[in-house]
Amino acid sequence: MAKVYTGRDGSLLLDGTTLVKVASWSLQGELETLETTTLGDSQKTYVPGLQGFSGSASLLYYSDDANRNDAGTLLRKIIKTTGVSASDTADLTLRLSDGNTNKDVRFTVYITSVSIGASVGEISKADINFQVTGAPATVTI
Amino acid sequence: MAFPSLAPTVRTFDAGEYPVKNFRSQSGAEIRILYGSQRTGMKLELSYENISDGQAQSFIEHYDEMNGTYGTFTLPSITKTGWTGSSGTIDVTTGNAWRYESAPQITSVQPGISTVQVQLIGVL
Repeated sequence: MAKVYTGRDGSLLLDGTTLVKVASWSLQGELETLETTTLGDSQKTYVPGLQGFSGSASLLYYSDDANRNDAGTLLRKIIKTTGVSASDTADLTLRLSDGNTNKDVRFTVYITSVSIGASVGEISKADINFQVTGAPATVTI
Repeated sequence: MAFPSLAPTVRTFDAGEYPVKNFRSQSGAEIRILYGSQRTGMKLELSYENISDGQAQSFIEHYDEMNGTYGTFTLPSITKTGWTGSSGTIDVTTGNAWRYESAPQITSVQPGISTVQVQLIGVL
């Protein structure tokens, strides 16, 4: 069945568990290209180089009845009393789902920046940026 | 084994010198003596960017075959690709041959891809 995906179909999972109150996520993929143009060529030619992925997400700073706060979990990857170590990775899954089929991209990331604030009359949101390390574990998008 | 037949990415040619010796007196007058009629010492720098490791390896194999900077050789015409002037202009002149001025340098760019830089000098 034809399907247009919207924000209602999106979700963000940490360690396979759906995070609550996610306002948005985005993913960027990039591929470096290595130029192989030689003298005498009229058009540039390339070979593929390294690829990488990065992205961002925005979560409401929300604690549920069990005091679970997913935004806080991600914020604490950076905002911590000790330095960030190599093990401070996160297993993120970006998902679009039509209810039956999940379109996933799952990878290990380092949270590279976080921001959170509080303003009168506004809901506090945590914005995070992440950098994927290694190859995606799952790509069904 | 001949010099690898690849089109370079960057080519720099230095036309060399005639064997001239200059003598300058205290008065400032200059005397020049020409010791030979053939230009020599031309230099050619070739860069091969983002080639396969196998192609890069062929430069080292040729360098070995030439016993490093000892042996002389000629270059395939593909090394002059893109030059629309007379091909002899950017090659060694008659009586000269190329030899390695230094060992080829290989820079590994990523798995399977390398960049090679070769410096040659024309000798009589």
